[in-house]
Amino acid sequence: MNQAAAIKPALPDSLSLVALTVAGLLCLPLAYVTYMALTADAAIWSRLWTTRIPELLFNTTALALGVAAGTLLLGVSLAWLVARRDFPGQPLWEWALVLPLTIPSYVLAYIYSHLLGASGPIESAWQILAGPDSHLPSPHSYAGAALVMTLNTFPFVYLLARAAFLNLNVSYEEVARACGVSRAGTLFRVTLPLMRPAIVAGLSLVVLYVVSDFGAVSLLRYQTLTYAVYQQITGRYDPTAASILSLLLVIVALIFLITERWFRQQSRFFQTTGRYRARARRQCSPLGALFASVYTIGVFAASFGVPALLLVQWSVSAVSSGAVDARFFGFVWNSAFLSGLAATCAVLIGLPLAYLASRRPSRLNLLCLQAAYAGYVLPGPVGALALLVIFSHLAPFWYGTAAVLVIAYVVHFLPAGLQSMEPALQQVTPNLEEASRSLGFGTAATLRRVTLPLVRSGFIAAWVLMFLQSMKELPATLLLRPVGFDTLAVRVWLEASEEYYQLAAPSALLIVIMTIPAILLLISKDWRAA
Amino acid sequence: MNQYRFHYFGLAALFIVLATGTMPDAAEPDRLVVYSGRAERLIKPLLDSFQAKTGIHVDLLSSGTTEVVNRLQAEGSRTPADVLITNDAGSLERARELRLLSPSATPNSVAAIPAQFRAADNSWIGLSGRFWIVVYNTTLVKPADLRSLLDLAEPRWKDKIAIPNAGSEYLQAGVSVIKAVYGDDRTKQFLEGIKANAGTQVYGKSSQIVEAVAKGQAALGIVNHYYVYRHLATQPGAPIAVLMPDQHEGGMGAIINVAGIGIVARTTRTDAARRLVDYLTSEEGQKQFADLNKEYPLHSRVAADSSLPPYKTTRVAPVPLTRLGELREPAMMLIEQAGLR
Repeated sequence: MNQAAAIKPALPDSLSLVALTVAGLLCLPLAYVTYMALTADAAIWSRLWTTRIPELLFNTTALALGVAAGTLLLGVSLAWLVARRDFPGQPLWEWALVLPLTIPSYVLAYIYSHLLGASGPIESAWQILAGPDSHLPSPHSYAGAALVMTLNTFPFVYLLARAAFLNLNVSYEEVARACGVSRAGTLFRVTLPLMRPAIVAGLSLVVLYVVSDFGAVSLLRYQTLTYAVYQQITGRYDPTAASILSLLLVIVALIFLITERWFRQQSRFFQTTGRYRARARRQCSPLGALFASVYTIGVFAASFGVPALLLVQWSVSAVSSGAVDARFFGFVWNSAFLSGLAATCAVLIGLPLAYLASRRPSRLNLLCLQAAYAGYVLPGPVGALALLVIFSHLAPFWYGTAAVLVIAYVVHFLPAGLQSMEPALQQVTPNLEEASRSLGFGTAATLRRVTLPLVRSGFIAAWVLMFLQSMKELPATLLLRPVGFDTLAVRVWLEASEEYYQLAAPSALLIVIMTIPAILLLISKDWRAA
Repeated sequence: MNQYRFHYFGLAALFIVLATGTMPDAAEPDRLVVYSGRAERLIKPLLDSFQAKTGIHVDLLSSGTTEVVNRLQAEGSRTPADVLITNDAGSLERARELRLLSPSATPNSVAAIPAQFRAADNSWIGLSGRFWIVVYNTTLVKPADLRSLLDLAEPRWKDKIAIPNAGSEYLQAGVSVIKAVYGDDRTKQFLEGIKANAGTQVYGKSSQIVEAVAKGQAALGIVNHYYVYRHLATQPGAPIAVLMPDQHEGGMGAIINVAGIGIVARTTRTDAARRLVDYLTSEEGQKQFADLNKEYPLHSRVAADSSLPPYKTTRVAPVPLTRLGELREPAMMLIEQAGLR
């Protein structure tokens, strides 16, 4: 490396300057929300403490815990089934169980408010059995929100647990069995404890997702911090209370993000590099196979099959009644344009950050990269609030334009993109760049002709990921959309929140369809933030 | 590094193009940018027919009422908006106090709309009236069970009522009127009572409240009257009806509010904006509010839908609409102190 440093003159300062500026701008929203909350009148703090905060913290935590328990149960059991047991359709279910990730939470929420709602199909069926006066509990409740979020997020745990089951060195289990531990004992005393880091990492992701979700809780009217922030922004003239709730939300999100990071580092301890054999799948007994199939099909149907069929059915009737007109294609274009632009900007912005951090890992450059991860703990409404206030004070000229919305997307989704861009850059050995330099190419030419072609696939994955997330994004889009710039996600939410389920279906279905191939493509690369 | 510098300059240039490109062009006279706080399906048909009639293209931003006023304020002199339409006189008054609206009512609209439905300086003009009424499920409740809006706070309605959330401008305006008539203590009692009685049945949209009452999830709800009639228009058999509250001798009277329109102070397209004001306050425009939306037209020569309780015989709460602006902040404080969602 010393030699390399001798050959390579210091990179032009302009790149560092760009990185520093970008990192500063990316941190600005978080800093501004914190500042607003901390300088708020103490009276507002105390009023919120006595009226709203205990309820909101309790609701948010309760939902997070409930969903964590649910996804733990579903994710681990399904991962165990497909990784360790052979039953009909196993290879199909192995990837099909990822599909629930393609349905945005607000779409699943509105489908379940129809299915489980008063006089919905399930209650009607129930009333045939139990008499016309019996009612099912409303989906607009804790139970409804927990159910929808569990069905929506269990693939996070499933994917990590499945990978852990597959990567686990079979020797540990064989030793346990040889020492006379029963099969169940081995599972609970050896296998699952070894998988703990992977499972906890999955759960932390689920919790982070639940805590920052706006779409599902708003449609199911379950009061969480994120929803309350949105309501404060849209229902009050003064954003101070919203900023206080935002700060609390950021702290809650930060706690779970740190937990996830910590356990992800811990998870390295069992990924042994030595030789190991994967465990072979055991053939199920006929009864076992039946149980496994019913269970898997049931979860798949509830989380993807039935919702997708309903969307298709509603879309067909919406199309035949003429709801898909020129205006609809306008929304499609707006979605594609905004998301494409955001993804492109994010890749261009992420490039100097990731490049400098991997090629010149000075403290400053690493700090710049870390700063870019600030968006992770800025749930949609919080980021939108910060940008609304910042732009109205500092740059009113841009306020209300698409540029602000694109910035919101970039701040929020760049972390997910960087997770794909960083490893891609790190995998390119500096030797290649040094060779190029020694053969007479300048820094710029080397970057363009050697580095960029090598990292292309990682960057494309990052682009696709950020494109999809921007397309599904709801709260920031609702708050920041320019005049006449509704997106598919906004249309779904607007129609669904007035219970026009059929009108919402074509937009929702289009989002799901566009997401499917990309999710399948990305699973192998980086599914974390999908 | 020249190439890379170029990329970033390119990016910056793209952003500026985007920033200016998505702002409707001020130079085009045949366009109007309308910020609307009304549900899109309640206002778009009227704007469409205005567009068809005049050839003036209307760009509509539909959002929450408070949200569009916030936005107008934040955008200040850079706002692309020419016209503000909201569903609540209180927020129009607030926009007037913030000097966001120009006092430039047209002679036609002033002639058409009675003075009690306009701002004192004509900064905003009322377009349609609505009562904040009780919708009840006819299989669960008899109209004689309830006389006043304040009765909804009684413990006998525990878990039986559906209410709007704290961000609802109708709720804020309604509470303003109750506060002005009965004072803080009674208002607080009312809010705490409906909060306890509603439980989790707190809704973001009036249409959801009507839906919940129609399905029997709630026995009663508080909404603007037209949501009930719109629901009945699509589902004539729904077991719901309107109860006009506080009509008894000595009662407060029903709470009225208006949707209204104001011309944004900074607009350069005053002519087109005034034509829109004229159109919406004309007999033709007012008829659409009456027929499509089942609201009360404010034009003296346009009749309300015959299924509505006649305006003339309705006892109306004695709080002028122009006071809703100054009452808003204290009313919001009461709502927040009661801990409504």
